[in-house]
Amino acid sequence: MSSGELVLPLVAFLLAPVAGGLLCGIDRRLTARMQGRIGPPILQPFYDFFKLWGKDTLVTTRENLVWAWGYLLLTMVAVFMFFFQQDLLIIFFVLAFAGACLIFGAFSVRSPYSHLGANREILQMLAYEPILLLAAVAIFLKTGTFMITGVFEFGEPLLPYLPLAFVAVLVALGIKMRKSPFDIAASEHAHQEIVRGVYTEYSGRHLALIKLTHWFEIVLILGFIALFWAQPLWIGVVLALGMFVLELLIDNISARLRWAWMLGVSWVVGVGFIMANMVLIYLAGGAIRV
Amino acid sequence: MGVESLVAILVIMPFAAALLAFGVKDARVIKPLVISSMLVLMVASVMLLMRVVEAGPIALSPGHLWDNLILVLDFALLAYFLYVGFTSKHPLILALAGIQAVMLPVLKFFILPSGLKVQPVLYIDLLSVIMTLVISIIGGLIIIYALDYMRDHEAHLKLDHTRQHVFFFFMVAFLGAMNGLVFANSLLWLFFFWEVTTLCSFHLIRHDLNAEAIGNALRALWMNLLGGAALVLGMILLWQAGETLSIQDLTGFGTVGAALLLPLALFCFTGFTKAAQVPFQSWLLGAMVAPTPVSALLHSSTMVKAGVYLVLRLAPAYEGTQLSVAIAVFGAFVFMVTSIVAISQHNAKRVLAYSTISNLGLIVCCAGINSDLAIAAAIALIVFHAISKGVLFLVVGTIEQRIESRDIEDMEGLVAKLPLLSGIAMLGMITMLFVPFGVLFGKWASIQAAAVPFSAWFPLVVGFLAVGSATTMVYWTKWIGRMISLVSFERGAVVEPKSFLSYSTILLMVAGAVVLSVFVAPLVNILITPAESTMGYAKAFETAGWHLRSAFGLFTPWPLFIAVALALLLPALLVRVKSDQYREAYLCGGNVPGAEVPSFYSLADQSVKIRTGSAYWESLFGERSLTNWINGAAVILLLVLFVGVFV
Repeated sequence: MSSGELVLPLVAFLLAPVAGGLLCGIDRRLTARMQGRIGPPILQPFYDFFKLWGKDTLVTTRENLVWAWGYLLLTMVAVFMFFFQQDLLIIFFVLAFAGACLIFGAFSVRSPYSHLGANREILQMLAYEPILLLAAVAIFLKTGTFMITGVFEFGEPLLPYLPLAFVAVLVALGIKMRKSPFDIAASEHAHQEIVRGVYTEYSGRHLALIKLTHWFEIVLILGFIALFWAQPLWIGVVLALGMFVLELLIDNISARLRWAWMLGVSWVVGVGFIMANMVLIYLAGGAIRV
Repeated sequence: MGVESLVAILVIMPFAAALLAFGVKDARVIKPLVISSMLVLMVASVMLLMRVVEAGPIALSPGHLWDNLILVLDFALLAYFLYVGFTSKHPLILALAGIQAVMLPVLKFFILPSGLKVQPVLYIDLLSVIMTLVISIIGGLIIIYALDYMRDHEAHLKLDHTRQHVFFFFMVAFLGAMNGLVFANSLLWLFFFWEVTTLCSFHLIRHDLNAEAIGNALRALWMNLLGGAALVLGMILLWQAGETLSIQDLTGFGTVGAALLLPLALFCFTGFTKAAQVPFQSWLLGAMVAPTPVSALLHSSTMVKAGVYLVLRLAPAYEGTQLSVAIAVFGAFVFMVTSIVAISQHNAKRVLAYSTISNLGLIVCCAGINSDLAIAAAIALIVFHAISKGVLFLVVGTIEQRIESRDIEDMEGLVAKLPLLSGIAMLGMITMLFVPFGVLFGKWASIQAAAVPFSAWFPLVVGFLAVGSATTMVYWTKWIGRMISLVSFERGAVVEPKSFLSYSTILLMVAGAVVLSVFVAPLVNILITPAESTMGYAKAFETAGWHLRSAFGLFTPWPLFIAVALALLLPALLVRVKSDQYREAYLCGGNVPGAEVPSFYSLADQSVKIRTGSAYWESLFGERSLTNWINGAAVILLLVLFVGVFV
């Protein structure tokens, strides 16, 4: 491995939270504009982060904090593996472990609101996990490998071959960004029936940790979307940013919906679309042959 | 030691020890007898491994006397099953045992030439050795665990006379039958051991002799007899089409001719009944009425594993056929639907049972995909599932004895009451569920294998696997969530009575699950790859640097282990909380100060206790709404499987 191959992913990994924070700033600004408000400065998420970091932490149970750290660190492992172009399935499995840590954190204190959020967070994982795994399979059908390196060696953009899979991944993006209509586990505003769902029992430094983790998550899922147009990569990045803005638009024109509806959409539009995409590739004779 | 003596120790010694235990009845004798015979069994299985690794597969053909003995015992077994059917007035059992009692003599005396000797009778390759290691070591540990468990169990039931000698007779004999089953190359011998496992499981399920136990045992019996009948019918058809009853003849020469596919389909059907695949899942679900060690044995190292072993063993014979594709679709379907139903269950043992059926479905699916990678995944899953599921049943059984409930809702906050047991239970579930543990390695390999277009039906298979993986996560995560739910800084004084044999076996097994996961690369190198190559498959993994590189991806166990350990253990050790930081959980500001159970002020300032619980979403995932549908779909898939043989 040359030093360039080592340095670039490391830099990307280190910049990921900065990018994630900036994206959240843009999110708040754009959302405000769509709602006819001016909105906070782009850097507001960072101000919030440091303010939270400096606050006293109130604790319900110690385990609650331990799992929050696990959530952050395992998500970082997944992002690290992503930039080092590892096996997509393994990356998603690690991400699932990280997501489970958030759920365990919420379960580890006997609080009705955080339990309600945790049960719903489980449903969210149930909704997006098959989409991510199957999207990796769809990419494999063209590249012949689950390694991200294969996407770059493929030589052509994937999107023209995988349009339906791409739409399915957008559903997963909405769930992972915790945007309406899929924000069922933790509402954006704390004045609703589930309070803050999985986040209810977190405060101060550990809430800051969770925000940081969320930034990593957003970068990871947007990075995955960028893989659909990796030649040249800048188009993929623009594509991912475009989809990010699209999610914000959808967020602002839809309400939080019921979990059964979410599951239906993700299994029909998500899983169904990807399987249809696989069939198309197979029928067109474009699938890898072994 | 000679090979013959090793095989005799592994197959005949358990029967001898079982008879001895049955004869003496005295617990003071049974305990040392069982422990020592299990230790001998474990050592012998390891010696057999070294022997086969060194000198290759072993072929043995005991003399005619043994063939005749097996035949006599076959008829004795069938006569006994008829007797059971007669006394319990169970027409299905009568019919199914009767069919076998007619077909077997027809096969033996009219169809087979007299004096036929299937050569070799026993054939022990690395796949058999892997099975015998699982059977002898995991099965042995479960039986040792059972010694203390049964003492407490009988004390709890307040029996007048101990029935432990009956219990250990069938438990120990079970291991001998399983070893015989995986060694057998002659289908006639395999049939005999197959029926013995049916007999043992029948008696173990009905052990407590209450109405429910007896009813469930009868159901297990008829379903397994159905498999036995398919096995005999398959043998008749196989002889007429191919003039052989040797498994090696079937599997040793690539894909068989079209005429042999029907008997193969029947054998696979036999395997599905024993592996409790849908629509036969009800016998395994019902089997949990038995004492816990029985469930642990049936689910992890014996019985159901015999079913998937047979399907896997025959895989080279149906490679590349429509039968193989149908098996893959069927297995993937069972994997998905049973893990969906598991979400709705709050009986801990039922969740474990559905999880077993689901994982067996995944193994069946891998056998059907039938590529180098898929077969490696299937073998890895057999090993890792056996050990993790063994741990989970034993630990749930012990928890049940402590809290006198097997309802997951009653396990809320168990980490505060039984920290060691619930810690082991959580670790056991995590080894079933997350990277970098062995079961996930198998799942990773199987999804990759299913992603290769092995047939036009592959999108269906990989879709089932992806959804099934997600639903699997749901039921384990919910369960762990129940056990770790704590009231703020609630730490009661803990009295956890620890009986030595129970705790040491559980700890050994959970440690084994972790250690074996770390060493998955050498495991693949030493056992799985050579086992595959004797079956005629190519190497599926490069293991340089103890990473597992398949043709399509890379699994890096030890770096992941380091990462996961750092991510979870460091915070667990380093996070410090000062006592003045603690607060009660948020209840909209209405917390009742100083309440023993967290409470809030409700209407008219009444204090109301909070209640939390898991979600089961029964309306969507419940047995009531799903079971009939999935049974129907499974029957259709099985019909397709048989019709596909003729296309």
